[in-house]
Order: sequence, then C-alpha cells, then structure tokens
Amino acid sequence: MNGAQAVVEALGREGVDFIFGYPGGAIMPMYDALFQHPVRHVLCRHEAAAVFAASGYARTSGRVGVCCATSGPGATNLVTGLLDAFMDNVPVVAITGQVRTELMGTDGFQEADVCAITQGITKRNFLVTDSTKIASTLHEAFALARSGRPGPVLVDIPNDLLKAQLDAAYVTDAVRPAARPATSARVSEAAVRDAVARIRAARRPVAIIGGGVRAGAVEAYRTFVSLLGLPHASTIMALGSASPNDPAYLGMLGMHGLKAANKAVQRADLLIALGMRFDDRVTGKPDRFARTAAVIHADIDATEFNKIIHADVSLHGDLRDTLEALVAELVRTQVPRFDDWASEAQQLGGPLPSDRVGDHVLSATDVLDRFFAAVPDDAVITTDVGQHQMWTAQRARPAHPRNYATSAGLGSMGFGFPAAIGAQFARPDAPVFAIVGDGGFQMCLPELATLRRYNVPAKILLIDNQNLGMVRQWQELFFSERYSATNLADNPDFAAIARAYGIEAFFVNDPHDADDVIARFVAYRGPALLHAACHPTENVWPMIPAGMTVDDLMEARA
Amino acid sequence: MTCDLTLRDFRSIARIVNLAHRFNCRCTRVDATADADATQAMFAFDGPALALTRLRAQIDRILAYEASPE
Repeated sequence: MNGAQAVVEALGREGVDFIFGYPGGAIMPMYDALFQHPVRHVLCRHEAAAVFAASGYARTSGRVGVCCATSGPGATNLVTGLLDAFMDNVPVVAITGQVRTELMGTDGFQEADVCAITQGITKRNFLVTDSTKIASTLHEAFALARSGRPGPVLVDIPNDLLKAQLDAAYVTDAVRPAARPATSARVSEAAVRDAVARIRAARRPVAIIGGGVRAGAVEAYRTFVSLLGLPHASTIMALGSASPNDPAYLGMLGMHGLKAANKAVQRADLLIALGMRFDDRVTGKPDRFARTAAVIHADIDATEFNKIIHADVSLHGDLRDTLEALVAELVRTQVPRFDDWASEAQQLGGPLPSDRVGDHVLSATDVLDRFFAAVPDDAVITTDVGQHQMWTAQRARPAHPRNYATSAGLGSMGFGFPAAIGAQFARPDAPVFAIVGDGGFQMCLPELATLRRYNVPAKILLIDNQNLGMVRQWQELFFSERYSATNLADNPDFAAIARAYGIEAFFVNDPHDADDVIARFVAYRGPALLHAACHPTENVWPMIPAGMTVDDLMEARA
Repeated sequence: MTCDLTLRDFRSIARIVNLAHRFNCRCTRVDATADADATQAMFAFDGPALALTRLRAQIDRILAYEASPE
C-alpha cells in the first residue's frame, strides 16, 4: 500500500464514516485512495465549509469530525474553522496535503507552512516526515482531539509520503492510543466536601452550566440541579442541558441573556460554575460580576481556575465525575432545597422585550417564535452568527446540547449552514435546521450545491433583515447611528438562488402567512430554504453593553 | 518568572516565546537542549504579574496537550 492508502485505512480503523473536504494537487493521492472506499468523502464547495461541516458533525454526534484539504490555499482556508473548533472545544482532525518534501522551504507552488500557521489554534499539529508513521500519527491525532478538553488537531502530510510504498503492517500494527482523561486524579474529595458545605450554607445559590457538559455530563447535571431545586442558567455552549420544562431553569445568561438568568446570578450568594470559562460575553465586567457570590468552579482544565473570576473552591476533573461526587456527598445527609429561591429568581425575568412594529410587518422574533412552535422536539438546530443567533439562543429549548450547534467562542459567520450539513450526515434521521442571517448565509452560498448533490434534507431558515444586523445594532446604539457598511438592501433573490441549485424554496414577508409557510417548510421532505424577509431595524433585547453589568441592562431603544 | 520545562515538541519553544510577546511580557532568556524524544528548556520572563500568570497558564495548557495519549 502507499501512504495515502495508509491514511484512509487509519481513518477506517478510527471508525470514520464521513470526511468533509476539497481536493487539490498535493492531496491527490489521498483522493485516489478515497475513490470507492467505504470512508465516504463529502465534497464541499470551499475548504472553510468543509471544516465547519466537520465541526457540525462533531458537535452533534460527540464523535471526531474529519476534514481534508490540499496544501497552501486549501490548508489556509481551514484556519478559521480550526480556531472555531479550538475556541469551542470541538474534536476535529484536519488532514492537509503538503508539497513534496524536496520542495518544502523553496516557496514551491501551493506551499504554506501550515503547521506554523496553526500552532496557536490547534491542540497540536503534526508534520509527518516518515511514511511509516502516517497511521500512528493519525491515531495519536484522534486520541488527542478526543482527550481531556477536546479540540482540533492537524496532520500535514507531504505529497511524496502519500505516494510512498510501505508495508501494510505499519497500518495494521499501528498503536491506537486511548483518549487520555483530563486529569489522572479524581476530583479532590476535600474540595467536594467544601463545595457541598457551601451549598448547604447558601441561601441564593445559582448554577451556571457551560460547554463542558457536552462531555457526557448532561444526565449528571440534570440530576444535580433537580436534587436541589437549584435555579440554573446556561451559557450558549450548553443550551439543551436543562430538562424540558424544568421550572428552575432561567435560560441563557450573558450579553443577550434572559433577564432572570442575569439578575439571579447578580443576586446570588453562591455561584456554582460548571464546565464554563467566564467568557467576557457572560461576565461583562468581571470585577462587578456576581460580586456578592462565593464561587465554586468545576472544570476539566485547571488553567481555567482564577483566569477571570476568583474561585473559592476549585473542582478539577471530569465534569460528570465531579457532579456525581457532589450528588453522592449531598445525599449523605438531608439534601437542601432551593425551590423558593428558584421561584423568586424566575420572577426576576418577564417576557422577552421586542421591537415588533405591528401586525403588518414581519418580525424576526415573531418568525422564530412561530418556527419553534412548529419544529419537532428532537430537532437539531445550528445557527450562524449575529442577531438571529441571539434571538434563537433566547428561544430555543433543544432536547440536548448535541441538538444545538453554534459558533460561540469565535463567532464565525458562515458557520451555520455547513455545520447543518455536517450535522445531518451525523444524525441522518434527525430533522436538522440551520438558522442563518443574510450576511452569514452569503459567506457559504455555494454549499447549496453540497446540499443538492447528497440530497441532504437539512433545511435553512434565512432571517433576512437586509442588514448586518448585529453590527447595525451597535452602530445605532454606540456609534451615533452612523451605519457604515452594514446595509444589505441590495441582497439577491435568495429563493431564486436556492431554486437554481435545485433546492426547494419558500418565501414569506407577511405575518399573516407566516404560520402556513413555516408549517409547509418544516414538513417538506428534503432540503429546503425558507427566506423570511423581516423588518430591517429590529434589535436584540435585552442587552448588557460590552464591559458592563446587569445593572446597565437595556431593554429597548432609549 | 522562570520556567524549567520538558517539551515533547521542540516547536513549542517558538509558541511560548510568541505567547510571551502577545501577553506583553519579555522573554529575557531561553536555554534549550533537544534530543530525539524531548527538549529541556529554561525560559525567563519579565512582565506584569497578571500577564505572567496568564502566560504560565497557557504554558501549562501547551504541556498538557503535548503529553502522549495513553
């Protein structure tokens, strides 16, 4: 066999079923090896979409997402998606072709030092320099991507090594390392006792769940909060963690979070931060965030402790183990209940404020309310980045965090639609919907061809407000209404574009038609676009301006 | 702040020096000896206390990601 066949066989040994990519010169031997191979290649129309599709696959399945690209521009087009996966701790393995070894360092055609470029945005990367190590390197990459705090790993393979002949034993005998746990030590029993003592003594505790819950901790989390009747909020990475209809769930917190969640955190005397990293979109101004609360912080990554917020108790370890240890310690004696405080916390909120301008103009939030009333409970939702992302996060009640994928930490426009394609390959029987804005959708329009080619039944809800809405909102509120480069009033006819790619398209701009059109869109069997032409100046409320606190919360235009 | 590190990937030296610059710290000394399996490296950094704390945390993360899966 040759090196390229070793790559593909190693992918098979890792259980890879789909690889998202785009061919090119340096990686051609691998595409030859993929031809008619059981590991199925999905041809995206841009490498940036391929890595987002791999990320969507990983986020919604819990498995490693795999993408590939050729050298030079192919590899550099992966960069944003790799950083996106790094920020959100998504296990992705990227395989890139590299120019022949003899050309490296000569500014050869399509040469890029992709390992140097991606060093700071991957958990690790590998330049393979010996064809006999291709399989073992890939296995190490997969193990590392899954290990501890997950993330992206890149493997760069020169073209001559892909073509080199090697003994098949270098593949069949290659060691497949197990995913390494985050820490060899179990969470400290003393720290667990300290945490439980603080929970017992607290009067107004609030839990915040973050993306760490995705590592198999959902059930343990639900058990923990329900045992205590604990009011709890979610970061955008953890939406879906709460049990459906949990009365103590306060919703998403942060800049565009729900008022009850933000106010409860600010009134808390104990914050139980679980698998979250105190992003600035959550804390606003860290030294005024939850300033009356002691903090228990549980995380898989010890470097997160005291990075932003001082932790009075640090629980270092796997989140599920930590939660199970907390529950075990709590039930040793009478378990405290916080139902009254949870009810009081819930009362701190109220209906979501809205800029709806009347029953004759289609409102984005109205479309989303009607959409979520129509979609099945098991729907998988992906979003792009911007206003629609926040409106969706405020409203969506996904059944599980793996039913929700969004570019949270990096905020990469162009993520939502290709992520939905990846999600649909991962979850072929699930109804998958991408909710996108008119700005981000135009960053990945060619993926309509991917949707058509594979007849992927993922659907796209396009919230078109003819603006880069979130930037426009900030210009309105903080830049004296100087609308620089945010007007997209000359948008194309999106439905016509979808139809040109062979995708069924629906259109709505009248609120009176919305329920009917949404129902037909949701029920349509196959890929489809719903173009919702919405009011152009609707803002996302509530809003805590950047660097401020819940005391500065805005609920409407001044 | 000084750090005596065993690095599995000698390229991490460059990564650590870049991080120091990014965090407004100054890398005042690097001594490194590499063999086939590991690199012994000693770094000295100057900078604001908070920046040095963040730098040390990022270095710890690099070390964690370098460790071999079992």
